[in-house]
Amino acid sequence: MSLLEFDKVDKFFGDTHVLKDVDLNVEEGEVCVIIGPSGSGKSTLLRCANRLEEIQDGEIRLDNQSISDPNADINRLRQRIGMVFQSFNLFPHKTALENVTLAPTKVKGLDESTAEKRAESLLDRVGLSAQSNSYPNQLSGGQQQRVAIARALAMDPRVMLFDEVTSALDPELVGEVLDVMQGLAEEGMTMLVVTHEMGFAREVGDRIVLMADGRVVEDSPPEVFFENPTTDRGKQFLSKLL
Amino acid sequence: MAESYSDGRTADDEFQEQFLNDKTLKFAGAAVATLFTLVVGLFIGAIIFTQVDFGLFVEIIYPQFVNAYLLVLGIFLAGSVLSIIAGIFVGLGRVSKTRVTNTVASGYVEFFRGTPLLFQLIVIFFGIPAFWPPGEFPIQNWAIPAAIIGLTLNHAAYVGEAVRGGINAVPEGQMEAARSLGMSYVQSMREVVLPQAWRNALAAIGNDQVILVKDTSLLTVIAVPELISAFRQINSATFDPWTPILLVAIAYLGITLPLGKVVRYLEARSDWGGDR
Repeated sequence: MSLLEFDKVDKFFGDTHVLKDVDLNVEEGEVCVIIGPSGSGKSTLLRCANRLEEIQDGEIRLDNQSISDPNADINRLRQRIGMVFQSFNLFPHKTALENVTLAPTKVKGLDESTAEKRAESLLDRVGLSAQSNSYPNQLSGGQQQRVAIARALAMDPRVMLFDEVTSALDPELVGEVLDVMQGLAEEGMTMLVVTHEMGFAREVGDRIVLMADGRVVEDSPPEVFFENPTTDRGKQFLSKLL
Repeated sequence: MAESYSDGRTADDEFQEQFLNDKTLKFAGAAVATLFTLVVGLFIGAIIFTQVDFGLFVEIIYPQFVNAYLLVLGIFLAGSVLSIIAGIFVGLGRVSKTRVTNTVASGYVEFFRGTPLLFQLIVIFFGIPAFWPPGEFPIQNWAIPAAIIGLTLNHAAYVGEAVRGGINAVPEGQMEAARSLGMSYVQSMREVVLPQAWRNALAAIGNDQVILVKDTSLLTVIAVPELISAFRQINSATFDPWTPILLVAIAYLGITLPLGKVVRYLEARSDWGGDR
C-alpha cells in the first residue's frame, strides 16, 4: 500500500476530459516530480489530491482512506496534506507568524504560545526568523513562498503538494525556495511536485512522471528519464528542453 | 474647420497651449473654489446676522434639540450596528452557492432596495399593529422600535451588497489556501475572507451609514421626535425658519462628520504593512 494513491482517476471540466484514467502511487518518503507541457493536467491532478477539484470517476486515497469519497471528512484529511501554491496565497491581513499559527490554533486547537513556538522554529527552518512580524506585502516573492511552505508544514502533513511554486518568482529568487524544498526532501518528507525546474527534478526527484493530454505517459527514475527516456513521448519532451 | 499651419499644428492646438495648459487650469480651479467659498460664506454670514435669533437659538437648544439630537444619535447607532451585522449575513447569502440561500438573499436585496424607505417605514409602523385586536397594540411605544427595524432592514440590503462586492474582490486563492489547511468553510470565511472583504467594503459601508444618518429625517412621518420634527414644532410656534434650520444643520453634521473620521480611522487601521 502506498501513502498516496490515484486509482483510475477521471476528471472533466464541462466536456473537456482533463484527467484520463490516471494511476499513480506515491510511496512514503518519495519525491515524485510531475512534469509535462501546459494543459497536460499536472496541476489539476495535484488539486484533486486535496479535493480543491472533485473527480468524476476513480478514487484517490491517502493512507488507504478515500479522499474522493463525497462522505469523507475532508477537513480532517486535508490536515495531513500540505499544499503550496504558485501564487503563494498568504493571508495579507496576518503577519508571517500569524499565517503559520492560524490553522494550528483554529483547526487543531493548539494554544497560542505552543503554536507560536512551533511557528518560530518553522520560520527559522525556512530562514525567515527575522521576518516573523512582517506582513506578506513587506516580503519578497521568495520570502512569501517560504512562509507558505512553513504554513503548510505547521499542520504536520504526511505529504506535501507543490504546485509550480517557483513559476511566479523572479529568477534570482527561485533558488532560495528550491533549497528549502530540497532540505525537506532530504529529511524524508513525501512530496508531489509539479514543476518546470528540470534541474530540481533531476537532482531531488526520486521519480519523474511525465504527463501529456491528461495521461501519465512516462514514469521513470530521473537518471533514466533524463538520459534515456523509455517512451517516444518522453524523448519528444526532452528534445524540446535541449 | 481648423486652420492648418505649415508645421501641421492647428488653431486648436495653439488655443490649447495658450489657454488650457496645466498652469491656467490650476489657476482657474483655485479661482472658482475661492469664489465659491466667498459666495457660500457671505450667504451663511447674511443668514446668521440677519435671520438667526440668538435669544431663541439658546432657548431651543435645550432640551428640545439636545433631546432630538440624542434620539437621532441613538437610533443611528442601533440601526448602524444592526444593519452592519444583518448586512454581513445578507452578503454571505448573496455569495452562497446554495440555491435557496442565494435566492432568498437576492430577493431580500431586490425588495428593500427596490421600494422606498418611507414606504417600508409606513408598512412597519402602520401595518404591523393591524395584526393585533384594536386597542391592544402598544402603539405609543412603537415609533422608535419601528424606526430602528425599518432602517436596519433597509440598510442591511445596501450593506449586504457592499459586503458581497468585498467578498468577490478577495482572490479565490485565499479560500483555497485556508481550506487546504483543513479549515472549514465557516472558519475560512471568518478568519481569512471576511477580514479582507471588510476592508474592501469599508468605504461603501461608511458611505451607506452616512446615508442612514440622513434617512432618520424620514422618521418624522411616523411621529418620531427627531430633528425635522423639532424644526417643524419650533417653526410653527415662532414662524422663525432660520434659527431652527441652523440647529438642524449643526446636529446632522455633528453626527456625519465624526462618522467620516471613524471610517477613515478604520481604513487606516487595516493597512497590513502598507502598499494598498
